Amino acid sequence: MIKITELEKVYRTEEVETVALNKLSIEVKEGEFVAVMGPSGCGKSTLLNILGMLDDPDDGSFVFNGIEVAHFNERKRADLRKNNIGFVFQSFNLIDELTVFENVELPLIYTGVKTAERKKRVEEVLDKVQIMHRRNHYPQQLSGGQQQRVAVARAVVNHPKLILADEPTGNLDSNNGNEVMALLTELNEQGTTIVMVTHSEHDARYSHRIIRMLDGQTVTENILI
Amino acid sequence: MFSNYFKIAFRNLWKNKAFSFINIAGLAVGMASAILILLWIQNEMSHDHFHEKADRIYTLNNRDKFNGDLWAWSSTPKILGPTVKQEFPEVEDAVRTNYSTFLLSVGDKHLNVQGYFTDTGFLNMFSFPLINGNTSTALNSINKIVITQELSKKLFGDENAMGKIIRLDSTDNFTVSGVLKDLPNNTKFDFEYLLPWSYMNKIGWNDSAWGNNSVQTYVLLKNNVSQKTFDAKVKNITIDHTKNTGDASTTQVFTQKLADQWLYSKSENGQYVGGRVETVKLFAIIAAFILLIACINFMNLSTARSEKRAKEVGIRKVVGAQKRLLILQFIGESIMLAFIAFVLAILIVELSLPGFNNLVDKKLYIDWSNTSYWLFAIAFIVFTGVLAGSYPAFYLSSYKPVKVLKGTFKASNALVTPRKVLVVIQFTFAIALIICTIIVERQIQYAQSRDSGFVRDKLVYTFIQGDVDKHYDLIRNELISNGAAVSVTKSMSPITQRYSDGWGWSWPGATEDDKKTDFVRMASDVDFVKTMGVQIVQGRDIDVYKYPTDSMAMMLNESAVKVMRLKNPVGSIINADGGEWHVVGVVKDFIYESPYEKVQQLAIMGPKSWFTTIHFKLNPANSTQKDLQLAEKVFKKYNPQYPVTFNFADESYAQKFREEKRTGTLAALFAGLTIFISCLGLFGLATYMAENRIKEIGVRKVLGASVMSITGLLSKDFLMLVIFSLIIATPIAWWAMYAWLKTYTYHIDVEWWVFVLAGLLSITIALLTVSYQSIRAAIANPAKSLRTE
Repeated sequence: MIKITELEKVYRTEEVETVALNKLSIEVKEGEFVAVMGPSGCGKSTLLNILGMLDDPDDGSFVFNGIEVAHFNERKRADLRKNNIGFVFQSFNLIDELTVFENVELPLIYTGVKTAERKKRVEEVLDKVQIMHRRNHYPQQLSGGQQQRVAVARAVVNHPKLILADEPTGNLDSNNGNEVMALLTELNEQGTTIVMVTHSEHDARYSHRIIRMLDGQTVTENILI
Repeated sequence: MFSNYFKIAFRNLWKNKAFSFINIAGLAVGMASAILILLWIQNEMSHDHFHEKADRIYTLNNRDKFNGDLWAWSSTPKILGPTVKQEFPEVEDAVRTNYSTFLLSVGDKHLNVQGYFTDTGFLNMFSFPLINGNTSTALNSINKIVITQELSKKLFGDENAMGKIIRLDSTDNFTVSGVLKDLPNNTKFDFEYLLPWSYMNKIGWNDSAWGNNSVQTYVLLKNNVSQKTFDAKVKNITIDHTKNTGDASTTQVFTQKLADQWLYSKSENGQYVGGRVETVKLFAIIAAFILLIACINFMNLSTARSEKRAKEVGIRKVVGAQKRLLILQFIGESIMLAFIAFVLAILIVELSLPGFNNLVDKKLYIDWSNTSYWLFAIAFIVFTGVLAGSYPAFYLSSYKPVKVLKGTFKASNALVTPRKVLVVIQFTFAIALIICTIIVERQIQYAQSRDSGFVRDKLVYTFIQGDVDKHYDLIRNELISNGAAVSVTKSMSPITQRYSDGWGWSWPGATEDDKKTDFVRMASDVDFVKTMGVQIVQGRDIDVYKYPTDSMAMMLNESAVKVMRLKNPVGSIINADGGEWHVVGVVKDFIYESPYEKVQQLAIMGPKSWFTTIHFKLNPANSTQKDLQLAEKVFKKYNPQYPVTFNFADESYAQKFREEKRTGTLAALFAGLTIFISCLGLFGLATYMAENRIKEIGVRKVLGASVMSITGLLSKDFLMLVIFSLIIATPIAWWAMYAWLKTYTYHIDVEWWVFVLAGLLSITIALLTVSYQSIRAAIANPAKSLRTE
């Protein structure tokens, strides 16, 4: 599903040049659950942003579902993204002014799903993450665990083929963290490909394969199953 | 999708009430100002456009050379109208109007009313609809009168006026043959009654002299006749009709479209080049700027607080929103805000219209029954929304989600940001307006303090009406003997106005060219010097009672002596208006016309000229009130039919400053509004600045910074912007005021301290605005602000 080859990304400021990705090559197959680990600054978030088409690489190739996307413009990337990719962030990133229901509904609005269908699908997914009873609450009225479940619901409501999770349990206690990991595992078992960046060895063990990065390159790959 | 946008826009507004208030209030005040000005402009631009035949109606005008310059003017000989109608097949009809004031009486009701003598075709040429009566026959015989609805109400109450009798002065009875709908607020015509021209013949007011320019003449050209061809034909009509007479004229005739007359009435080089249209343009610019300034507030506040909405933008992008959709969303939001502000603005406009009407001397109103007003309202809202929302929309929608969602996002703090540029635009305009206000005020004061050359105090005048002329000698004697007045003088016009001027005069040593020198006429029977308080510099005052030959006496002012190059003016014989006048005295120049201009050459003529006014100097031994009571008794005794109206010379002199005072008031008003709106924006910016720098302030305080130094630090940036604005505003205001002052002969110089004062004023206001937020941020407990990180 994902094949990146010799990917490069360099951040420049006036004085410093930071190599975030250094000829990185990775492949992720459909249905896989991959964890990316490594110390701060090793390039794992940059990798995730490029995979999510939020950022573009300086050099190298990125093939998504058989299409070379490395040099797509913003519009094409937005199109591809909204139909194929869901995101889960460490800091949840829900819109404060929208209710739980409206937050989850947002991706469906941008893909042009009709109102009745939207309602059905949002309710389905809220049910699945067990937050239905909170559908009319605002994010700040929820606990961290609940907020992340909403974020996961929003990530999957469009039935994406790929979920990118950036330290999804980083802001949660272990109970809530485990719940979220269980949710991701369940989604993976239903066929969704997941790439997750994490610092937690515990969380990484939920995955099929751990990619360890250092200085913009992969160092090891552990296959867990 | 739109309900989602609407929801989030509304919730954002609600959540940030202070921000929303500043934004909406600023926009509403800006919109209200712009709407008021636009109403005024719309009224000015639509003057006399409503006549159905407006595209074929022209005024006839004269053009000739005087005092070395080519002039154009719109008063014409009475004979011109009938002559063009008779001689030119292109003319479908020609109509004249002649201003008059009569005492109209119905039973015990007596009213002094102004109206026109006019030709039969008036009601057919112009679209002033009759409520009652027939446009073709309403003015077709000598004893008919057409009155406006308003006058009908004043004279007859709610009764139907048709067929009723109105007495004119105390002489003739007229039958009401038509009642006109009240005149609209966008016409130059100003009358309450119309009388048939034929009555002018009866009372001996008509003449067929080509040299007497005293009435307005309008022509209705036939379809397909172009102005240019007609102008070429009519050009020499006066010259042709006078060439074989003793009074050969050099005056050319030309047309001006009636619909253009209101805006273009200022003549330069014999052409109508400007006039009110210049004010219209100026106001249009001011309206645009005030609206822009209000929109700038919106832009600045929206982008300043954009960090708060950056996350939303990031998320929307991550879940698939394209930039285009986000731009649409934000512009939609600002249109919604503009709509709320518009509703508020309409409220402000409706509340302030009476005051504004008073200020600009108009009857403006919003005509909600007119669909074009509604269409305009929609266009105005969308325009304002797009103007205000476009920059924030592009700014916000260009955020990179990677940055905003990871929390690494920080707004730039560059030396020149669009936000700073926008604030500078606002303050430049505000400061320029402050400077203009100060200079206009100073110019008015300067002109007011100029010596008028006559004594306005206790000088009263009244117009000669009814039996006053017949009993003038008795009235004069009684005013003095009963102690109301110390001196009484008959004159041609109020001392503060010119009614008449003429040329073609000659005097010892005059050349042929001097015949083109124009003199202003005034008149006196006796005591002109004493009553008016002017100074005599040579000879004596006119006194027809002591010297009967003074009926052909003349006094000149100093300017006239200079223009005539007379070495020994007293005793000179002046040939003027077909008679020989002997000069008995010379008076010092006094201001009878514009206090901003040089005093023009003037001749005060003896009783063989004519009189319209009685001036009298009140007795200083009594109170003014007592004097007036005594005077009223005298006039009531000899002229009982007429209401007594006394006018004060100092009041009518003050009228000369009305236009400039209005300009001054409007400049002050708009300067105040601009400062208000700009400060609203500044306050909002200061609020967000204080929020954004809260951590910095905390750290500084922990390290030992004083409240003073922090307040200074926070205010400094804003101060720099205001100072920069002052630097830009100074040359702009200087140039504009220099050009304005140049239109006056007597004017102040633009002085440097005005700019310093305006600068200090705006800096103080700006500092007061930001200091509240700066001090609040500076005294906040650092422990609290640092913990929030």
